[in-house]
Amino acid sequence: MGITGGLTPEEYDRIYSDSQLVRRIGGYFRPHVRKITLVAAMVTLISIAATISPIIISRGIDTLSSNPELQLLLVFAGVVTTLGIVSWAFNYISLWFSAQAVGDVVLKLREDAFEAVMRRDLSFFDQNASGRIVSRVTSDTQDFSTVITLTVELLSQLVLVVVIGVVLLTQNVSLALITFVVGPLVVIIALVFRRLAREAMQNVQRAQATVNATIQETISGISVAKNFRQEATIYEDFQDSNDLAYQVNLRRVYVFGSIFPLLNTVSGVAVSVIIYVGGLMALRNDVSVGDWYLFVQGLNIFFYPITSIASFWSQFQQGLAASERVFALIDDQPLVLQTAQETMDEINGNIEFDKVTFNYSTGRDAVLEDFSLTIPAGETLAIVGHTGAGKSSLVKVLMRFYEFQDGDVRVDGRSIRNLDLSQYRQQLGLVPQAPFLFSGTVADNIRYGQLTASETEILAAAQRLGDGSWLDDLADGLNTDVGERGARLSLGQRQLVALARILLQDPAILLLDEATASIDPFTELQVQTALNTVFDGRTNIVIAHRLSTVRNADRIIVLKNGQIIEEGNHDNLLKQEGNYAELYMTYFRHQSLAYEVWVE
Amino acid sequence: MTSREFTIANEYVYNTSSTLRWLNSHIFRYPFLFILYLITMTAMVTSESLSAIMVGRAFDTVINNEGARALTIAALWVVATYIGYGLFDIINSQAIRILAQRVERDARDELYLSLLSKSQTFHGQQRVGDLMARATNDVQQIQLFVSPALGMAIESTLSLIIPIITIITLDLSLTLVPAVFLVGVTITLIRHNNKLSPVADQLRANFGVMNAGLAEAITGIEVVKGFAQESFEEKQFSTNAGAYRNAFVAEGGITAQYLPLLLYGMLVGVAFGHALFLFSQGVVTVGEVIAYMALLGKIRSPIRFLLRTSSFTQQSIASARRVLEMILTKTELDQNRDGVSQPIDGHILFENVDFSYEETAVSTNAPLTLQNISFSAQAGQTVAIVGQTGAGKSTLTKLLNRTFDTKNGRVLIDGIDVRDWNLDSLRSQIATIEQDIFLFSRTISENIAFGARDEVSQAQIEEAARMAQAHEFISQFPKGYDTVIGERGVMLSGGQRQRLAIARAFLSSPRILVLDDSTSAIDSNTEDQIQKAMQQILEGRTTLLITHRLSQIRQADHILLMKNGRLIAQGSHETLMERDNVYREIFSGG
Repeated sequence: MGITGGLTPEEYDRIYSDSQLVRRIGGYFRPHVRKITLVAAMVTLISIAATISPIIISRGIDTLSSNPELQLLLVFAGVVTTLGIVSWAFNYISLWFSAQAVGDVVLKLREDAFEAVMRRDLSFFDQNASGRIVSRVTSDTQDFSTVITLTVELLSQLVLVVVIGVVLLTQNVSLALITFVVGPLVVIIALVFRRLAREAMQNVQRAQATVNATIQETISGISVAKNFRQEATIYEDFQDSNDLAYQVNLRRVYVFGSIFPLLNTVSGVAVSVIIYVGGLMALRNDVSVGDWYLFVQGLNIFFYPITSIASFWSQFQQGLAASERVFALIDDQPLVLQTAQETMDEINGNIEFDKVTFNYSTGRDAVLEDFSLTIPAGETLAIVGHTGAGKSSLVKVLMRFYEFQDGDVRVDGRSIRNLDLSQYRQQLGLVPQAPFLFSGTVADNIRYGQLTASETEILAAAQRLGDGSWLDDLADGLNTDVGERGARLSLGQRQLVALARILLQDPAILLLDEATASIDPFTELQVQTALNTVFDGRTNIVIAHRLSTVRNADRIIVLKNGQIIEEGNHDNLLKQEGNYAELYMTYFRHQSLAYEVWVE
Repeated sequence: MTSREFTIANEYVYNTSSTLRWLNSHIFRYPFLFILYLITMTAMVTSESLSAIMVGRAFDTVINNEGARALTIAALWVVATYIGYGLFDIINSQAIRILAQRVERDARDELYLSLLSKSQTFHGQQRVGDLMARATNDVQQIQLFVSPALGMAIESTLSLIIPIITIITLDLSLTLVPAVFLVGVTITLIRHNNKLSPVADQLRANFGVMNAGLAEAITGIEVVKGFAQESFEEKQFSTNAGAYRNAFVAEGGITAQYLPLLLYGMLVGVAFGHALFLFSQGVVTVGEVIAYMALLGKIRSPIRFLLRTSSFTQQSIASARRVLEMILTKTELDQNRDGVSQPIDGHILFENVDFSYEETAVSTNAPLTLQNISFSAQAGQTVAIVGQTGAGKSTLTKLLNRTFDTKNGRVLIDGIDVRDWNLDSLRSQIATIEQDIFLFSRTISENIAFGARDEVSQAQIEEAARMAQAHEFISQFPKGYDTVIGERGVMLSGGQRQRLAIARAFLSSPRILVLDDSTSAIDSNTEDQIQKAMQQILEGRTTLLITHRLSQIRQADHILLMKNGRLIAQGSHETLMERDNVYREIFSGG
């Protein structure tokens, strides 16, 4: 339904002048110049053939009134037949080569767009919903390809209009002028229709969105309705929205169902006028019967392209707008930029935040301000704090997912701005709260940590977690299909896969955002044991949500508004009865074994 | 459709014996619209042919010097045929589109009704996303079968046949060339479609793959960047986009070769030659030659139309097949109206229960989701079920209200096999609170009242909300109980949804409760509230409780430890602490 959905502008959109657009589009076609020239030549030839054919027929008809020789007549017929065959061949060549050119151009455009998306830092993905990025890379490029096809089509129609127009003018000026009146008339009707249609479409789309939502809800609600045996109620709800959808669509039917009949009638009346006026002139011998015939035919040939230009014009504009959106996506620059590309093979894992100031976008409040923290290599550091305290920002800055504004972040004494980003990130292992898995098998997902790893290495990594028994719980071991986004695995299993992936990657620094959702006690036990293995020999920064983690950390820092307000280990901090103790009561108390609630 | 859980009176019955018959029975539910379409379409094409004849007539009046009056009459006939055409056209295009919309509406209605009548078993196995896609996208595609596909097919056929029949009125021998042409078009068209359809399918499939891969790379961007795998993803995308490009070009090549258009190009020339020949033999007049050529001119657009008809048809038939498939899916439970119908006391007994999702009970090797499960619970007891995801916990609870039936063994409630209970009586006394709680976009009051079988007062609703510890947060909304869920940012947290579901369950006052409590509260206060709500609703009811919470496990009367579909241990907390190593390890506070 996305017509309006896709048209909502994004922040990175920009306006291109027509000449810029043409130059950009032209740039993509430059490698295919020979094919395009060929297509253009074919299109012109087809138009010429389409004009010659009725001329020949009209000459043929003219000879009928004189004393025709059969042989001559058959020559006429032979020429028309040949023209038919040749036009088809031209048409074949033009379609075949334009399909190739369009296919290649769209491919290139898609690759460019995808590469541009991959270059972007995470702030871009925060601001733009993934569905809309996807639609730019696939649908908008698709629409762009219709622009090309339509341009070819429209150009050929235009050539045809011009050629036939010139021919008609040379035959008879007054009949030609009558014919030309049809042009503006059709354009006016088409313009009026476009406005009506746009309004109708917008209303329909808006109504359709609500109706679809209700229909979807009544479908998701079936189970609940059955549970409480309320099928009749929910069926009524469904019927109401289904009927509404029908009514709304009928409105569209009324508008779209009347435009072409109207246009056809206009052309019909014009044909009749030509027949009458042309007939009168033929009676007075002002024109030959053949010329008269040519005009009757010519009007049809003239009329068809104008209707199709009028009806395709909006599609053409939509396609141009689509290409503008794709170019905007390609041209937008990432905010995270490296100042140098220093290589970094091995690191120890000393981390230093030096008076760092960071906000997610200019104009928003700083999440971290003048923030300093040193983490020695090998330490396990737990970060706790309320939502919005800056816990994950700290990790994201270190990952170089976002650009920070002031201060510096150093790893082993080197500013992370100067490092080869790809090599640097390979030294960092990130485990997000709800680990993302790609569709494929468990093994495929573990391999993502190091693409060159062998099956044995993958199995070894998986078995190092706990006693490896988590693999037995998977239906098909390492070959288990994880489903879309890992949906077929439980959250705990996804975490185990993510941890195995980290073991294979073997980074010097581990960044772990612990899951807040609860996992069944069996898997929880496996995850906790696995973590001990993964933590071993690395610098670990954990955004802690688990009581057991804060208990075992070397050091806990308490964050509030981007500042460290308390620091120490679990027991010390709890004794202080300060902020940590309050956080404990808020987030960790119910995880304790002793937790119980009594109803008074 | 022998066994159904829900029926309505006066349901319209469609022919479901094949996809095409099904579509036809939908279309012929409105014979008037269809016949109106046929009649107006015939009238349109006839007036079009008539206008060609009249054009020829006009030429004859001039050539035979019949004078201006005869010409005027002929020209007026031409205008009349065109205006007639326009009027019929308006009725015609509305009729087919209205018919298409009705078919869409009816098909959706039929699908929805069939979904409602299917068992929980069915709904338990179906992905909601898939159902949704079929009810929205696929049903929308079905209307394409009527308009434009069927419309175009009928229009093209009539526009090919009627002008050629009209040619007979000029002179029978003129029909020779067009008749040969018709045969040629039929053969080449069939061959064209056979060649095109696999490529078109491939194109659609490749687009799907490209889109899915792209969506995944973008949703997983943190992982891609985290592992610095951008160039790997770029390579993969290029491969997918390249495969799409190849299919696109292949389709372009086949479309370019569309042979009927070549035949038409030849038709014009050959037919012209034939007409001229007949003229030289004195068989036809100049006007008839012109009318003949004009009639052949009418054939051009149907030939182009036919190029697109097949893709619409195939697309819509594929969608129709998916919808019909869902409608025809069998549902094995019926309402069992003659079964036992009495108040449940709450004693539960599982006797050597095996269960498998595989339908083919014959194949003994099918993996069992549940294997040899036996346990019992006294009325009013709480049974905690503990185990990994996939261990079979929720499957087990679903045997109780006959969402599924056992493969071997029995499930008894109050000593009566659940299969012998009246389904309505059984289900109305068992309430389920799922992990994913579904609330309707209605007011909070209406959502809570949804649980009640009869009318309930506002006071009863609020009482239920109080017991579920939900009253407090509901009262904090500006509109209180009249707050519409999901509207203007009224988003409820998981804990709040859970408490509303508990309130809803209170009103259905079940005897047995199945509670999936595997989601957790993030903070301790919410946790306190949920725990209180649960203790309230557990009281006096037999409860199967799926939980991860250690405190709840410890307090349960009976604990079932499950792994890979088997019961590996059961008993009270104390027993298990004594006997089971893993259990002990969990409670040792690792």
